[in-house]
Amino acid sequence: MNEISAMDLKGFVSNTVYEVFDTMLSMEVQLSDTDSRTTVDGDRIMGSVGFAGELTGNLCIHVSDTFARLMTAAMLGMELEEIEGEEEVHDVIGEMSNMIGGNLKSAFCDAGFPCNISIPYITSGSDFKTESMNWVRHECLVFLYQQHLALIEVFIK
Amino acid sequence: MSSKILTVDDSKTIRMIVKKAFKSYDCILFEAENGVEGLASAAKDKPGLIILDITMPVMDGIEMLGKLKSESDLQDIPVIMLTAESGKDNVMQIVKMGVNDYMVKPFKGEQLIERVGKILKLAPAKAAEEEIDDPSKKYFSVDGNIQILVLPKKIERQTSVQVEGHLKNKIKEMATSGMNKLILDLLKVTETNVTLIKLIIFVIQYCQKSKIHIRVVSSPALSDELKEFAETSEIATSHSIEDAKATFK
Repeated sequence: MNEISAMDLKGFVSNTVYEVFDTMLSMEVQLSDTDSRTTVDGDRIMGSVGFAGELTGNLCIHVSDTFARLMTAAMLGMELEEIEGEEEVHDVIGEMSNMIGGNLKSAFCDAGFPCNISIPYITSGSDFKTESMNWVRHECLVFLYQQHLALIEVFIK
Repeated sequence: MSSKILTVDDSKTIRMIVKKAFKSYDCILFEAENGVEGLASAAKDKPGLIILDITMPVMDGIEMLGKLKSESDLQDIPVIMLTAESGKDNVMQIVKMGVNDYMVKPFKGEQLIERVGKILKLAPAKAAEEEIDDPSKKYFSVDGNIQILVLPKKIERQTSVQVEGHLKNKIKEMATSGMNKLILDLLKVTETNVTLIKLIIFVIQYCQKSKIHIRVVSSPALSDELKEFAETSEIATSHSIEDAKATFK
């Protein structure tokens, strides 16, 4: 697992997040040096994908409901009022997790850790928290778009 | 004849993005949410191209591709894989299975069109053809004896230059045909910026100079915003095309 510890996970995830937000949403996000224990408060959505194979892990995106709706409108090229319901919002956040996670999975495979990626799953609400235990690596990156936060967490063992 | 394209992806978002990308082309799009539905649609609809995701529930893209290539009447349908996984092994596997091309997500609609254009001959949709014949149709239309100019939601410098150019030609055409009424429709505008303000002023002044009666239609919110700019604070607005038409004598 030394290779996993040595991987520039932060750099890879950052570059992928920049590219996915820019290409799919035309949003220029900035990596923030905010405390990585920052949380997204209030009504929020978490999109996740899992990795299983030579390594096990998860990638999660946490965004507020408000930001998730902005992202949905941007990805589907529509106005906020045109969003039909939370199914569309969940699908977009799931697809964002899939794109970022898929690129990360490819990096793991190329680094000698072949693994499969799960289909995305969504958790939404205002009163939940995620806890992680016994991971070899845990990275939490905070990205900013205007006043909105996107937290990207990666867990690997 | 319209090109038939089948998109197989469990994400409604991706299917919508693909659909929008082909909006300007003469295509019939079919959709499926997984490999099982995709195979059924391929057999029934006989598409000219399949855009296939890899990670899907029920049956993934790799399995569907394998089954497709084993069916004598389906194996020749070109396939473009659309995947978030760009790893070497993954790419080698799908290339060996006989895909015509693959695209790694994230992607832009234009990139997809470019790749598809190498496999299928894409013809512009009728509406798009009309726009090519007369680019002013993007903004101008005629309603009875009134010329309607519709501005898009965001005005950038390039759009402004285009509209100004088209307006000059339209005014000449109107003079020839005896038309002297124009409605500037701002109902789609969602972003107020300096370029928009300048364009509104230009349109109004050019119409006045050319003896064209002009009316402006905007949402109540935009009307309030226009009042905050010195240059547009005095402009009278209606909130619907019908209201504006009624003000012409």
